[in-house]
Amino acid sequence: MMLPRYAKALLALALLLPGTVACSSEKATPQESKGKLKIALSNSFIGNGWRVEMENVFKAACAMPPYKDQVDCSVFNAGNDVATQSRQISNLIAQGVDGIVINAASTSGLNGVVQQACDRKIVVVSFDNTVDNKCGLTVNTDQVKFGEQLAQFIVDQLKGQGNVVMVTGVAGTGADNDRNAGAKKVFDANPGIKVVATYSGSWDSATAQRQTAAQLPSLPKVDGVWVSGGTDGVIKAFLEANRPVPVVGGEAENGFRKYLAGVTPPKVNGMSIGQPPFLSVISLELARAVIKGEHPKTSVTIPFPMVTSETVKVGETVFPDLPDSFFADFTDSGPNATVVLCQEAATDGTPCPGKTLAVKLG
Amino acid sequence: MSELRAATLGYAVLAATAIAYLVVYTTSLGHLPTPFDYLSLLNTSLPLVFVAIGQSLVVLTGGIDLSVGGMVGLGVAIVAAGSTSGAAVTAGWMLAAVGAGAACGAVNGLIVAKGRIAPILTTLATLSVYSGLALKVLPVPGGEISPAVRSVLTDPDVPTGLIWLGVAVAGWLVLRRTRFGMRVYAVGSDETAARAVGVPTVWVKVGVYALSGVCSGLAAVFYVSTTTSGDPNAGDSFILTSIAAVVVGGIAFAGGRGSALGAVAGAFALTLVIDVLFFAGIDPLYQSLFQGLFLVVAVLLGSLVRWRRA
Repeated sequence: MMLPRYAKALLALALLLPGTVACSSEKATPQESKGKLKIALSNSFIGNGWRVEMENVFKAACAMPPYKDQVDCSVFNAGNDVATQSRQISNLIAQGVDGIVINAASTSGLNGVVQQACDRKIVVVSFDNTVDNKCGLTVNTDQVKFGEQLAQFIVDQLKGQGNVVMVTGVAGTGADNDRNAGAKKVFDANPGIKVVATYSGSWDSATAQRQTAAQLPSLPKVDGVWVSGGTDGVIKAFLEANRPVPVVGGEAENGFRKYLAGVTPPKVNGMSIGQPPFLSVISLELARAVIKGEHPKTSVTIPFPMVTSETVKVGETVFPDLPDSFFADFTDSGPNATVVLCQEAATDGTPCPGKTLAVKLG
Repeated sequence: MSELRAATLGYAVLAATAIAYLVVYTTSLGHLPTPFDYLSLLNTSLPLVFVAIGQSLVVLTGGIDLSVGGMVGLGVAIVAAGSTSGAAVTAGWMLAAVGAGAACGAVNGLIVAKGRIAPILTTLATLSVYSGLALKVLPVPGGEISPAVRSVLTDPDVPTGLIWLGVAVAGWLVLRRTRFGMRVYAVGSDETAARAVGVPTVWVKVGVYALSGVCSGLAAVFYVSTTTSGDPNAGDSFILTSIAAVVVGGIAFAGGRGSALGAVAGAFALTLVIDVLFFAGIDPLYQSLFQGLFLVVAVLLGSLVRWRRA
């Protein structure tokens, strides 16, 4: 009895929706550009600065040669929901794309759908939060090494003696587990180092600051802090508690590097390494090269972009005019750089003027 | 109230999204959806379908179950952590996951009914507990199930999932007609009156929460089957989506009115909305905005009709 009334209203809605978006969809998917590869980025969520930068440099790269002439790019976000991302990848398969670049909502949750993509000869490259399924390729950094390298730096600076605090990331993720394992291995191997507290900062500066502020009153003298993410928040908590800032091993937040460079006083002694947002660009290059037959079907591990308080350079690895939460490792630096990108690529997703991208797959 | 009438809103929303899906799909790709599309849609929806049925039962008694996230996560962790060898072992662990769900749900029910603590508080607390247990069982995503299990539950090429969907729907239709089913509605409509006529409200509630746990356990089984491995955080997204499915399905939050079949339709509609937005080429940044708008419109339509009738 009530069916017609519902049905009419909803039908109208249903017919309206595709009508209103038809125009936007036309320009979003350039129809049948001949000979161009179709490569899509399927990202799990866009809820933090790192993800925004990661998508921005991807879009910028797509608008720069050689990708501009060779690849049709598209970008999708899934709101960190495995089912949504799984649907999106299914739809990409239906669309008949040539390659899919994935930052996964769950390292295991997409195995099924990725297998279906592989079965249809689609090249799948995952990065950062990679997909377990072995039929896909991965582009990543060695997260165990992240933990080890920062921990070793702290141990060296403290000459093997002192109290250390560990601020970990989001529990239940592969990266958090690996980073912690790497750090623990190094700290355990040095009997003079005492880990006096371990708590989660959830890879978020505000959370890390709050947690640190809550922990500090109960802690003895802290000589070193190992931070998986949210480093600038941890330093701020020390400053607010009027405690001396210890040796810090942390991520690549611009705010943290401002302390390392002394742009924001006080100058902090530390090392900053990070998961580079340009992993998306490397993955794009790997997908393109594999589809074109220019690169073997093998996964790629790239070195971490790394700076210390001695080597950090204003304008190159730290950016005073960008916010603290910005990840300053959107570009690699030095003679062996994996890829070099400009500031506007990371902030706005616009191409670096007059530049052809050269990506080293190592 | 017939089953059809009770689930009308859910069916109408599903029909509308299905039409929208067909329209945008065909305009975007130039042909109708293929069996691949229907099958992957079915298989990815199944876990949510089960959680939504469980959530419906709880909402029908006037409660809410936020701990489904933890129970699905725990179930997924149990199946994935245990499934290192053979299909028989996996089947055993799947039973264990459903059992764990039943136990967790029964605990929820006891606290709600015996302890007289608001369902939202109880299940919010147990959500953390069960999620914590899931992390303990499976600290990092992993595990792998044998292809044999997958081909029985959610084969990517043959619609075996339809059988299980049929079983779920039939299960609800039978349950609805049992004495327990009647009592669920009685408790939801007027708990005091139900108690006065001798309905054991405490045990009805315990049963309902336990069944919600069983449904979460089944959802976990199908989750692991479609994804072929496990993630301890897998359950989180089911909390909101299962409630959304119940809302779209036209089940009254005050309890006593609606049908789980509406929520099943709602679950499929929610999955279809993702596809509609995809093929409509909506800017990714606005996708969750549109998903939210879809919910608001569906709920408004539901209450508009109810208000007019009143």
